[in-house]
Amino acid sequence: MTAKIKEFPGISLSEQDFKDGKILFNFDKLNGIYAWDTGVGIGSYLASLKAGVILGSHCPSCRKIVVPPRTICEFCFRPMDEFVPLKDTGTVNTFSLCYVTWDVQRIKEPEIPAVIDIDGASPLHGIMHMLGEVDPKKVKIGMRVKAVWKPPEERVGSVNDILYFKPIKEA
Amino acid sequence: MTLLHKDPQAPVAWQGELPVTNRYTYGLAGEKFFRTIKDEGHIMGTHCPNCDITYVPAASFCERCLGKLDEWVDVGNIGDVVTYTFLNVALDGSPLEKPEIVAFIRFGDGGLIHYLGEIEPDQVEIGLMVEAVFKPKSKRVGSILDIKYFKPA
Repeated sequence: MTAKIKEFPGISLSEQDFKDGKILFNFDKLNGIYAWDTGVGIGSYLASLKAGVILGSHCPSCRKIVVPPRTICEFCFRPMDEFVPLKDTGTVNTFSLCYVTWDVQRIKEPEIPAVIDIDGASPLHGIMHMLGEVDPKKVKIGMRVKAVWKPPEERVGSVNDILYFKPIKEA
Repeated sequence: MTLLHKDPQAPVAWQGELPVTNRYTYGLAGEKFFRTIKDEGHIMGTHCPNCDITYVPAASFCERCLGKLDEWVDVGNIGDVVTYTFLNVALDGSPLEKPEIVAFIRFGDGGLIHYLGEIEPDQVEIGLMVEAVFKPKSKRVGSILDIKYFKPA
């Protein structure tokens, strides 16, 4: 509420009002089924995630390795020449502490989405994923992390085949 | 050399579903309009004394003078067909054996779009008087489909 408006006009409804039948309503569910063509680059990426490898691709002109792999270089628009298997370790590039879930539920323990620069790819090339097994207060930019994978039989060829990234200590 | 050859094991498409649901409340006038259909089986409208217009379905405000409408009138269950069409294809695209008939039925200065029933397609004509056939009271939920269809009066 603002200083001028103490109460907005209208009638607010609670979930209980709907349950008790105090208000009539129409419920509808949209048919939102979709299929997104993965193409050569992302298709190979998802297939290799199922095998437990993060895949990148190499541009012979820029001499960059990007992840996820693409067939055309985004920097020079030339065709990429090969897929490169990368390590499943990396460095936190940036992160967020998220106290709200995707469907707007408040949560006490934050989810920690982060961009992780994957080892083996060119600097500042990474993927977005979640951090886990870590105290939210101790997450730092530059922290070294490693992927925690699902068991091989549960992998389906999705970026969620990696459960999360957890911190590692390096000698 | 380029990356033209895809891994034959690779997925062709990423499949998913957008979880989109909605709950539409009818508003102040709509609530009373549908509540009357549900509980009493009457079609109600609101009358504007300033413009002498009867709105069906009921509205809270006059569209012409923007005045508040609180004069509720029962417009009866019989109206006349203003226009109609035959549907020969179902929602999923499959052909229908017998066409469904959808009509705009005038009540007051407005009207409802609904199905016609108990009538052969060649008997339908503009100006035909039709009467609402309601579902049994126990099956009504407060929706326009609480009226099953309109039959010749």
